[in-house]
Amino acid sequence: MKNEGKSRYLALSVLSLSVGIIAWWFFTDFLKTIPAIVMPGPVKVFQTFAKKLFDTTPDGATLLQHLQSSLTVALSGYAIGVLIGIPLGILMAWYNKLDMFIRPLFDLLRPIPGLAWIPVMIVLFGIGIFSKAMVIFLSVFVACVINSYSGIKQTKAVHLWVGQTFGASNFELLWRIAIPTSLPMLLTGLRVALGAAWTTLIAAELLASTRGVGFMIQQSRGLFRPDIIIVGMITIGGVGALLAKLITLLEKILLKGGRW
Amino acid sequence: MDRQQTNQTLKRIAAGAFSIAAFILLWHFGTKGTDLGKLMPGPFQVIGQFFRSFVKKIGPETVLGHIAWSLSRVLIAFSVASVAGVTLGLTMGWYRKVEAIFRPYFEMIRPIPPIAWIPMAIIWFGLGEMTVYFLIFLAAFSNVTMNAYAGAKAVDPTLVGAAKMLGANDRQIFLTIVLPSSVPYIFAGLQIALSSSWATVVAAEMVRSSRGIGWVIISGMELNNMTQILVGIIGIGLIGFLLAVLMRNIEARLISWKEGGQ
Repeated sequence: MKNEGKSRYLALSVLSLSVGIIAWWFFTDFLKTIPAIVMPGPVKVFQTFAKKLFDTTPDGATLLQHLQSSLTVALSGYAIGVLIGIPLGILMAWYNKLDMFIRPLFDLLRPIPGLAWIPVMIVLFGIGIFSKAMVIFLSVFVACVINSYSGIKQTKAVHLWVGQTFGASNFELLWRIAIPTSLPMLLTGLRVALGAAWTTLIAAELLASTRGVGFMIQQSRGLFRPDIIIVGMITIGGVGALLAKLITLLEKILLKGGRW
Repeated sequence: MDRQQTNQTLKRIAAGAFSIAAFILLWHFGTKGTDLGKLMPGPFQVIGQFFRSFVKKIGPETVLGHIAWSLSRVLIAFSVASVAGVTLGLTMGWYRKVEAIFRPYFEMIRPIPPIAWIPMAIIWFGLGEMTVYFLIFLAAFSNVTMNAYAGAKAVDPTLVGAAKMLGANDRQIFLTIVLPSSVPYIFAGLQIALSSSWATVVAAEMVRSSRGIGWVIISGMELNNMTQILVGIIGIGLIGFLLAVLMRNIEARLISWKEGGQ
C-alpha cells in the first residue's frame, strides 16, 4: 500500500519534469517563439555541450580545460584553508588563552563575505592563480574555524571528567574525546567551506581571469552565446553537487552511525 | 555575577583590546615606509577615509548612500523571496503532491550558485535593477525554501494526530500546527538567506552596476585605489555584522517559547 503510494508520487515527479522539458523544447527549438539568443532549447544546449567537450572556440579552451583550471584553483585554496582553519579552530576552542587573543581578530574578519576580498587580492597579486587561491582561502578559512570551534565546544564536561579520572593527559583529552566529538560539526564545516570555495571561485572568474568555467560563461555573454552559458551553469552546478557528495561520503565513512 | 566571573570578563576585554591594538600597529608599521606601503594604505588612513566618505562622495554617492542602495536592493528581493520561499517550502513539506511536482526542479536548480546566474540574468533582464533583484531572489529563495521544507517535514506527528482526532480540517492543521512549529526552521533559513543575499548583492554590484557598496570596491580596484577598496570592505563587514545581529534579535523575540531559542 505504502509502496504503491510512493511509486505514484515518483510517476508524478517524472511527469512534472517531462512536461517542463517538453514545454522548454516546444517554445524554443520547435516553435521558436523564444529566440535562441534569449533562451536556447534543450536540443541546442545538448549539442553545444557535446561540441564544447572538444571545441576550443569561442573562448580559447574546451569545457574540460576550463573545468580543470577552475578545480585546480578552487581545490588548492580549499586545501590551504582547511589545513590552517581546522587546526586553528580546534586550538582556539581548546586553549582559552589563545581564544581570548585570536577571537576578536577573527570576529572582525568573519562578517566580510569572501568574495569582497577579490579586489584587494587582485590589486596585491594580479589576476593569476595566486590571488584567486587567496580569496578562496579566506572564505574557506572562516567556515572551517567557525565549525571546528563550535564542534570542540560541544564536548560534554562529563566525558572530560571521566577522561581525567582515568588519568588522561590534556593532549589525550583533546585527541581521544574532544576531536571525535567535534567530527560531525567539522565535516559540516568542510562541506559548507567547499560550497563557499566553489561560489567564490566563480565570482572571481567572472570578474578577472583568462580561463575557467566562470570565465567561459562571462565571455559567452559578451558573444551572445547563451547556450554556452547554460552548459557552463550546468557544469558548475553538477561539479558543485558532486563535490558535496564526496564530503557526504566521507561523513558516512568517518561517522559510523553517528555514535560519537 | 561573582568576583571571579567579572575578573574573567575583564581579562577577556583586555586580551581583545591587546590583540586588536597589536594588529593595527603591525599594519601601521608594516605599511609605513616599506614596499608594501606603496600598495597598502595604513590603518589610520583607511579608518579616517571611511568616516570622511560619510560626507565626501565616492563616485555618485557617499558611502552611506552606496550602502543604502545595496540595502534597498537586498530588502526588496529578500522580502519577495522569503514570502515565496516559505510558501513553497511549507506546501512542499506538507502536501506530497506539491512535493512530487516541484522538488525535482528545485533539486536541479539548487546546486547552481546564484553568482553563476549573473551572465544569464544580464541577458534576460539587461543591466538594470531587475538583474540584481533576480540574483538576490535566487540566493535567498533556495535557502528559505529548503529550511521551511525541513521544518514542515519535522512536524511532530503526535500533534497532527491529536488535532485530527479533535476534528481539525486540513487547513486548520496547516495554519495552526505546521506553520508555527516550523518557525524555528524558517528563521534559521532566513538568517542564512540574509547573509547570502548580502554576499550576492556585493557580487552582483561588482560585476555590473554604477552604485552600491560592491561598486565601491570594484571601482577602487579599477582605479588602483586600495584605500577606497578597504573603505568599502569595512562598510560591507559592518552591515553584514549588523544584519546578523538584527536577525538574531528578532529570532530571540519571536521564538522565545522554544527552549534554547536557537
